[in-house]
Amino acid sequence: MKGKLLLVIGFCALATIIWSCQSCGPAVPPNKNMITVWHWMTDRHDAFNELAKRYQAETGVEVVFELYAPSDVYSQKIIAAAQAHILPDIFGILDKKAVFATFIESGFIANLTEEFQKDEAAWEKSLFPKALSANRFEEGNVYNIKPGIYGVPIDVTNIQMLYNKKLLEKAGVVRAPQTFDEFLAATEALNRVGVSGLVSGWGELWMADCFASNYAFNIMGEDKVMNTFRGKVPYTDPEWIEVFRIFDILRQKGALVEGIVTKANKYAEQDFALGRAAFAFNGSWCVNVYHEMNPDLEYGIILPPKYNTSLPMRIWGGAGSSFVVNSASEKQDKAVAFLKWLSAKEQQAYLSQETLNLPANRYALTDIPAVLSEFARAMDATTHPTIWPLNEEPLVIEAFDKGIQSIIIGEKTPEQVAQDVQNVKEREMAKKQKRK
Amino acid sequence: MISKYRVIRAVKATLIHIFLLTVTITCLFPLFWMARSALMSNKTIFTDKSLIPAEIHFDNFVKAWTQGQFGMYSLNSLIYTFSVVIGIVVISSLAAYAFSRLEFPGKNFFFYMFVMAMMIPLPGSFVPLTVLMTKLGFINSSYPFVRQLGYVLCMINVGLSLSILLLKTFFDKMPPDLEDAARIDGCSKLGIWRHVALPLARPAIAVIVIFNALNVWNEYILAMLLLNDIPNHPTIMPIQRGLMVFQGTYLADYPLLMAGLTIAAVPIILVYLLMQKHIIKGLSSGAVVG
Repeated sequence: MKGKLLLVIGFCALATIIWSCQSCGPAVPPNKNMITVWHWMTDRHDAFNELAKRYQAETGVEVVFELYAPSDVYSQKIIAAAQAHILPDIFGILDKKAVFATFIESGFIANLTEEFQKDEAAWEKSLFPKALSANRFEEGNVYNIKPGIYGVPIDVTNIQMLYNKKLLEKAGVVRAPQTFDEFLAATEALNRVGVSGLVSGWGELWMADCFASNYAFNIMGEDKVMNTFRGKVPYTDPEWIEVFRIFDILRQKGALVEGIVTKANKYAEQDFALGRAAFAFNGSWCVNVYHEMNPDLEYGIILPPKYNTSLPMRIWGGAGSSFVVNSASEKQDKAVAFLKWLSAKEQQAYLSQETLNLPANRYALTDIPAVLSEFARAMDATTHPTIWPLNEEPLVIEAFDKGIQSIIIGEKTPEQVAQDVQNVKEREMAKKQKRK
Repeated sequence: MISKYRVIRAVKATLIHIFLLTVTITCLFPLFWMARSALMSNKTIFTDKSLIPAEIHFDNFVKAWTQGQFGMYSLNSLIYTFSVVIGIVVISSLAAYAFSRLEFPGKNFFFYMFVMAMMIPLPGSFVPLTVLMTKLGFINSSYPFVRQLGYVLCMINVGLSLSILLLKTFFDKMPPDLEDAARIDGCSKLGIWRHVALPLARPAIAVIVIFNALNVWNEYILAMLLLNDIPNHPTIMPIQRGLMVFQGTYLADYPLLMAGLTIAAVPIILVYLLMQKHIIKGLSSGAVVG
């Protein structure tokens, strides 16, 4: 036993010596022709490295992509690195817009507006406006940040409804539903042949919130939603009750898969990929996920079926991932030049083909897989809480989301939930008044 | 005729064995499931619910080893684990011996400082630690070895508090006569630590070794914060970084991830098996010293 232990210790000691000798090599001199990018996108790392090789071949500038995943660890690293003043030339901010604003305010992020507007704003025009919105601070923004664009989107995303073509065919549904009534009729037909209707990761509350928000915009329009946030319209308004009623109808008609309120999105994705449900409410990232889980899956993409045919359906979407430039970097020019190159049509198309994400460059749409094009077509219909002029109080959102869950499990009626949410809203507004 | 006493004993033994078997299965089943999932494909992992998969893919281990660059990561982790554990054992045993046997001003104050350090959650120290290590020149050093040394020092610091507490409790119960005898034989204070205290504390040290080896082997967050690879130089990241390759932003490659986890678990299981006897002794016989 003692001999074995000594053997292990001896081996480890020997390995340490070899390793130290190798590590103790000459100091690595700083390379002025090299820029460093810190990112968190594990699934895009190989594609980034390939693009870095191409960029070096074209320009002679070496780009080093350093991967720090998962995203929560990455965020911690960025915050710690900012405080230690060791941020790389290019990095990403994964937190809320308020944190983004704090970084800008502290002077860690360069203002790229001038670059975007060069050559008659050619760079700006090449990107989806919705993708830029997440990186843009408008005049009079609540964070008091100098108006401008501070980040470069490298992909976009949106959340829509997907349908399994074979399952719809099996149920005799000839065309994908466009209205809510058609959707209910389709789920009834599916139930008759033993297929579940809609699956989504509503165990992750934000996804249920997103679905409800889509219908709120469709039923009452953006202005009324914003006025509700301002406290001018109560949640007990008939149109809000109608939003809650949608979940009640879905429950009553058996249009939702069992256990949807506790389902994490990755399990919802498995259900749809393996044909256990005919509809899914999911983001454009799912193309990659479904491709890995079931490459033979045949599916189409539609906007969530309209409840109110007189108003447009608005879906959540915008910049997926963005990069910013370190304002303290000595290689700022090189960093900006690289980001311009990375967000150009050819590189965006390559990234999209390799990683199955939606490109941020609108001209790259012609060169991407068909299913992604279907997703991309709805980019103009996107909106997102990060670009709304104001957001609801967190406690109200929590009451709203929990209320939806209560309706789905048949615990409360839409009217009761509306009243509960309104009570929380009034309490929060009173608190806000008091603070003022 | 079977006596009532024997029946009761048999029932008791059966119940105890059922309980122990249940605990064993609960502990081993996740490991079995991990190894089983490592042999499946991305498609069958969601559909095949059988204990032994219909299709077996041994090549997942090869893919995980090559795609995850486990060779270099494993060597790094092995070295980190070895250096940190040796560092913790040496420093904590010296410190614990001093706290237990020597008299010096502020002894209790410093001891409680160490114990209090255990109460600081790791995320709370991320920013100060990064700033400190940057100022000391460990994070952005041009020498990879210096960057690694910074991480090793931090990990030693993470494991010190609990180790000092464990060893001090052990040394407190050591009979003073043993020290007196050593002193009569001409031992210095350091000699008593080396020739008397350390050999007696072997079970406690075994516990410290396994706890800290596990901690360092599985550590990832601090490594991500403090270690930055140097371009065009072999990676200095630990083995947990290799596992991240299989976890995409939205999708995980479960079979390769499970294969990677199996590979990563093997060394630590070996360490545990190797030190099992001492660990059990350390946990069960803490009260009997000398």
